[in-house]
Amino acid sequence: MSQQPSPPAAPTVPPLPFPDALSKFFWDATKEHRLEILRCQSCGLYLHPPRPVCRACLSTDVAPEEVSGRATLYTWTIVEQAFGAYYATQVPYVYATVELVEQADLRLVTNIVDVPFDELRAGMDLVVTFADMSPDLTLPRFRPA
Amino acid sequence: MKDRVAVVGVGFSTVARDTGLTYKQLTAQAITAALADAGMAPTDVDGVCALAFGQPELTGESPDSALSAQSVAQMMGITPVNWFTPAPTNFGDNANAAIAAVKAGFCHTAVVVHTGRTVIRKPDAGGPPRPTYVAAGDMQFSTPFGIPAGPGMIGGLTMTRHMQLYGTTEEHFAQQQVTSRYHASLNDNALLRDPITIDDYLSSRWISRPCRLLDCDYPCDVSSAVIFTTEERAASWRQKPVFVEAAAMASTHVSWEYIANILEGSPKVCADMLWSRTDLRPSDVDCAQLYDGFSAIAFNWLEALGFCELGEAGPFIAEGNTRLGGSLPVNTDGGVCNVGRRHGGSHLIEAVQQLRGQSGVRQVPNAEVAVYTVAHGPHCHAGLLTAA
Repeated sequence: MSQQPSPPAAPTVPPLPFPDALSKFFWDATKEHRLEILRCQSCGLYLHPPRPVCRACLSTDVAPEEVSGRATLYTWTIVEQAFGAYYATQVPYVYATVELVEQADLRLVTNIVDVPFDELRAGMDLVVTFADMSPDLTLPRFRPA
Repeated sequence: MKDRVAVVGVGFSTVARDTGLTYKQLTAQAITAALADAGMAPTDVDGVCALAFGQPELTGESPDSALSAQSVAQMMGITPVNWFTPAPTNFGDNANAAIAAVKAGFCHTAVVVHTGRTVIRKPDAGGPPRPTYVAAGDMQFSTPFGIPAGPGMIGGLTMTRHMQLYGTTEEHFAQQQVTSRYHASLNDNALLRDPITIDDYLSSRWISRPCRLLDCDYPCDVSSAVIFTTEERAASWRQKPVFVEAAAMASTHVSWEYIANILEGSPKVCADMLWSRTDLRPSDVDCAQLYDGFSAIAFNWLEALGFCELGEAGPFIAEGNTRLGGSLPVNTDGGVCNVGRRHGGSHLIEAVQQLRGQSGVRQVPNAEVAVYTVAHGPHCHAGLLTAA
């Protein structure tokens, strides 16, 4: 009797980001457990997601700068339904947006970890924690400060 | 005579989870219906705005290639074509583009059509692969952290903050959905018509907490079409014209994750612009067709348009104001949660039919002013329609 092919194993790594010339710094920094955000060198505005021009002053002199890693929780959702094979192994998980303390409205998408779901509160203080998912991917997640 | 734009024809295709029809077939049905509603021939139309959304055709053709404004014109025998354009995302885009084109004199009569096939289907053997989530561009900063899809990114993120800041409860969202389903039970064209209770809502499964299955719009195959023309020409056609009193749109960011204030955002900007273009006020509105792709979107619009104070949408709904017979009936056809995912087409069409007095058992008595809205979050649209 012929052997049934085994089903493909579930992915063990999240979907990988495709860094481009403008965003490569972000993912290189996370591998070194640093959080860097693109910043206008002319007026100081932080730009995320990265853009080649500053919307406040139109300067194209933008460069990455390390940030503190501190943030507050803006909002979140607890994903129960898996979209994508990797997430079938992760649900339920927290998908959140956080506001970095360096600038009002400077938002990052992330996961919140090390806290029970029912203790999440809008505005709670957070700090970055780096998760080495693979040699190719380190994710900046956040936990209660 | 004022130089307003008028709606003179509305129509939609067969609607079902799976009609077995192609983008072109669905579109042809909707436009044929709208032309018949108006009493027009295709050659009475000289402008086209088309949008296709959803899954590839079984032949592998993408929605974009299956349907363009130019191909719609050719297929339907619309000639000459003095104005044509694709629409970026939804029926609000369609409508606003046509209103502007007619106002500017590019064309005198424009048909807008939105065709969606939005049930996620397994790819056929040998057919095109299902689209995968590619973490490129801005998505590289989201997808590695999760794929909440629409229910999480739009529903969950919005609902959570509304509950955190204003004390809105699950029961408030439940009441909104119970009310919509009650309206749908009165609508022969709705796909979901069995009334639901608060308990039914609270037992419906989580997609992305706090967004439940019953907070989401219902995927389906459908095409919606609306015909706009000049005020001067509007009286020539079969139906009582409905007039565009004001229209607006706003863009504040590209995605829900990054907007500065997810609870105000573009609806507030859009609503303020809408009211600035008319002497009418929220108290003049007889019914509101508020986008409900996810239940929380209607909450944002109630607040943005000034029908209630910021944060008060939950109690406003719970008090019965948005139910037929209340002070401001909302989504009198049942909304897209019950009529099917139409990206604004059904909201606009229901507003028109209410103002024509064609809503049958769902008719709001003496409806003279209606508002419709499409989308929310980073970008959106709104229109104010009048019966006279």
